[in-house]
Amino acid sequence: MTTSRRRFTQGAIAAGAIAGAPAIGRAQTTPPVSRTIRGVMHGDLRVFDPVWTTANITSYHAHMVYDTLFGVDSKYQPQPQMVGKHGLSDDRKTYTFELRDGLKFSDGTAVTARDCVASIRRWAARDGAAQHMFARVADTPVKDDKTFQIVLKEPYGLVLDNMAKTGTNVLFVMREKEAQTDPNQQVQTIIGSGPFIFNQGAMVQGQRYVYDKNPNYNPRSEPASYSAGGKVVKVDRVVYENIADEATAIAAIKAGEIDFIEYPNVDLLDQLEGDSAITQEVLNKQGNMGWARLNFLYPPFNNVKARQAMLYTVHPSDVMKATFGNPKFFRGCGSLFGCGTPMENDANTEWFKGGQNFAKARQLLKESGYDGRPVVVLQATNVAYMNNAATLIAQWMKEAGFNVSLQASDWGGVVTRRAVKTPPDQGGWNVFFTSASVNAFGNPIGLVGHAATGEKGWFGWPSDEKHEVLRDKWAAAATDDERKAIAREMQENAWNFVPHIYYGQWFQPSALRNLKGMIGMPELVPFWNVEKTA
Amino acid sequence: MIAYIVRRLLSTAIVLAIVGLFVFMLLHLAPGDPAAIIAGDNATEAQIAQIRKLLGLEDALAVQFGRWGWRILQGDLGISIFSNTPVATLILQRMEPTISLAVMTMLVAVSLAIVAGVFSAARAGSAFDRLVMGFAVLGFSAPVFVVGYVLVYIFSINLRWLPVQGYKPIADGLWEWLRHLILPSIALGLAYVALIARITRASMLDVLAEDYMRTARAKGVSQPVMLMKHALKNAAVPIVTIIGIGVALLISGVVITETVFNIPGIGRLTVDAISKRDYPIIQGVILVFAGVYVAINLLVDLAYTLLDPRIRY
Repeated sequence: MTTSRRRFTQGAIAAGAIAGAPAIGRAQTTPPVSRTIRGVMHGDLRVFDPVWTTANITSYHAHMVYDTLFGVDSKYQPQPQMVGKHGLSDDRKTYTFELRDGLKFSDGTAVTARDCVASIRRWAARDGAAQHMFARVADTPVKDDKTFQIVLKEPYGLVLDNMAKTGTNVLFVMREKEAQTDPNQQVQTIIGSGPFIFNQGAMVQGQRYVYDKNPNYNPRSEPASYSAGGKVVKVDRVVYENIADEATAIAAIKAGEIDFIEYPNVDLLDQLEGDSAITQEVLNKQGNMGWARLNFLYPPFNNVKARQAMLYTVHPSDVMKATFGNPKFFRGCGSLFGCGTPMENDANTEWFKGGQNFAKARQLLKESGYDGRPVVVLQATNVAYMNNAATLIAQWMKEAGFNVSLQASDWGGVVTRRAVKTPPDQGGWNVFFTSASVNAFGNPIGLVGHAATGEKGWFGWPSDEKHEVLRDKWAAAATDDERKAIAREMQENAWNFVPHIYYGQWFQPSALRNLKGMIGMPELVPFWNVEKTA
Repeated sequence: MIAYIVRRLLSTAIVLAIVGLFVFMLLHLAPGDPAAIIAGDNATEAQIAQIRKLLGLEDALAVQFGRWGWRILQGDLGISIFSNTPVATLILQRMEPTISLAVMTMLVAVSLAIVAGVFSAARAGSAFDRLVMGFAVLGFSAPVFVVGYVLVYIFSINLRWLPVQGYKPIADGLWEWLRHLILPSIALGLAYVALIARITRASMLDVLAEDYMRTARAKGVSQPVMLMKHALKNAAVPIVTIIGIGVALLISGVVITETVFNIPGIGRLTVDAISKRDYPIIQGVILVFAGVYVAINLLVDLAYTLLDPRIRY
């Protein structure tokens, strides 16, 4: 059999058409690029249940899919979101909430008060701030389909703040069916009443997570403000692309393959200069804070003088310079509550204003009775700012007179070892480095690391009775002014007993390509209100 | 031959069992706690402990190994700790990009390298030969990520001909699939072109020096026939060996290329699983890799009998 040139050409065209057919079929269901935002977020989305984990990226995911009863506005005030009306009884012990009209889950079913109460109870089983609140909650009765209450045993000032909080864990409203899942088990079905629907069929685990506009979502009429206000979705689809290599992400945004990078590597930002389609914007205006935890259980940091010595040993700006280079991206901060938060103050910060002082540090260390035993400093080599902080601070600790044993592993190794309570020479540790959103530092109840409850608390296990009394007082305060006054007291006390050390506050810009309307806020990158300009 | 294959398959089971035990022990004795990673940085010790209990990580190592081994015997690679997805599903999802990349890379590498190697041998010492061997040294020396970034800079950012990153399944269209593989295949393939070209040249030079080649030349056999029909077939055993090793290495070792070009392949899956301490994925992937190595080695050994009738098992 012979094949003519014409037959061959016909065959080739037919083969091409067959090969291209699936793409044509899919094109009808895939939104156009002009209606799709593709973003590279700060990490891979590993867990989908926002109650099960405190990972920030899971909270981002949940804000897309679920809605919240309250949101927080740009003045950090809680504002009703799914709630329409709410009130507080005269004795300040009963909160009544009524849902607004027309709320539906993405499966079309109506949101009811029972869904809300089940969600509140599941959240309260895991979240530190909620647990603090629920120690004072007597009941959460459902009054009717749209109304429920939180009945307190005693007045508590943070009910609405806790219900509105961003960060982790956030009070997201799930269907009652999912919300009744054991809080220690992951929810398997992801159905919310938020502005987007999670498109699990289009997901490639570890690579791509797809969110489609929720046609059942009914936004509030107020303008968007942080996580409060109208969550108006202006695109058809948002895709979280997980690009592990930072240089590849930069190349991809330059080539127009992605539209957003949450935290581009600061060393590579120069490459984005000169491209008129790409802007750089600091969305999280409070930034993040690096902190070193000191182990209160063992020498030398079971002695307050040794902990105070660390205040004079660390120079935050120099740590920041090593990682972020350009001073516009960082600052030193001496406030226990972070700088830029409503609770920021300068009580008892002479140590910070005076700067690094090795003579003072050596004197304090001597007064602590330090015997020269090795001080185990954990170094996470795969996280640049932690790695740099460990290297520099270990060097300074040597200059201050500590006998430092710097022990390297990846971050996964550090998170395992930091939970070990045995002495440092038997697998334990003395110092590890991590970070948190500065917004979180502004709330001494919300951030679990602010607790000084000893071995019941977070890694490092600081212990101080006065601190705990003040935390409770702060939570019970009725007004912001009262809280600010208590915050000063807390800080005055904290920098005497030194629960931890800060090594700098940084502000990483995001890269945006032809996007407008991004809501810059701490601890969340919302994709409602955002539109593509090209 | 059949007895040989059966023997090899039996030995494969033993190899896989040893690999399984070794990997299990190595992973569980190394530092790292998936529960702590799952829980997030703001989690309390109590929350982490609850997750550990739920995942069965508090059981004795022997119990955990027994549970895993029993599942493997039933053909179940387990469930990802993080995503609750069966490991077999994740591996299958990630195999398509990796196999696509490996096949494309080897197609590019083999076709270029064998031609280059054969003609280099035929013109040993010529300018062409020196050029090809110089290129081979360059191919070996240039790291994949450097070549990758250079290619991206030229063809994706400047010329905008090809995508920077990502992978499209073949079901999305042949052209989309192909254009996403061109740059990674070239970046990855350069080293293999160099390797296979050098082996081909060396093997061909040995064969060309044989008496029967001199006889063929004396009998007036044309140069192309002599090279491609007589010499190449006899020089093929080491070439097939290196191609087999190359394919196995490609399937298990394309981590850097998959990272630079953001391809959701098996390499990325493994690295992500290691950073998260997702033990079932790591164990499953390594078992699959071991199986692939053994299978490719078997195929290469069987191919010898086709290429050289003197080889019998």
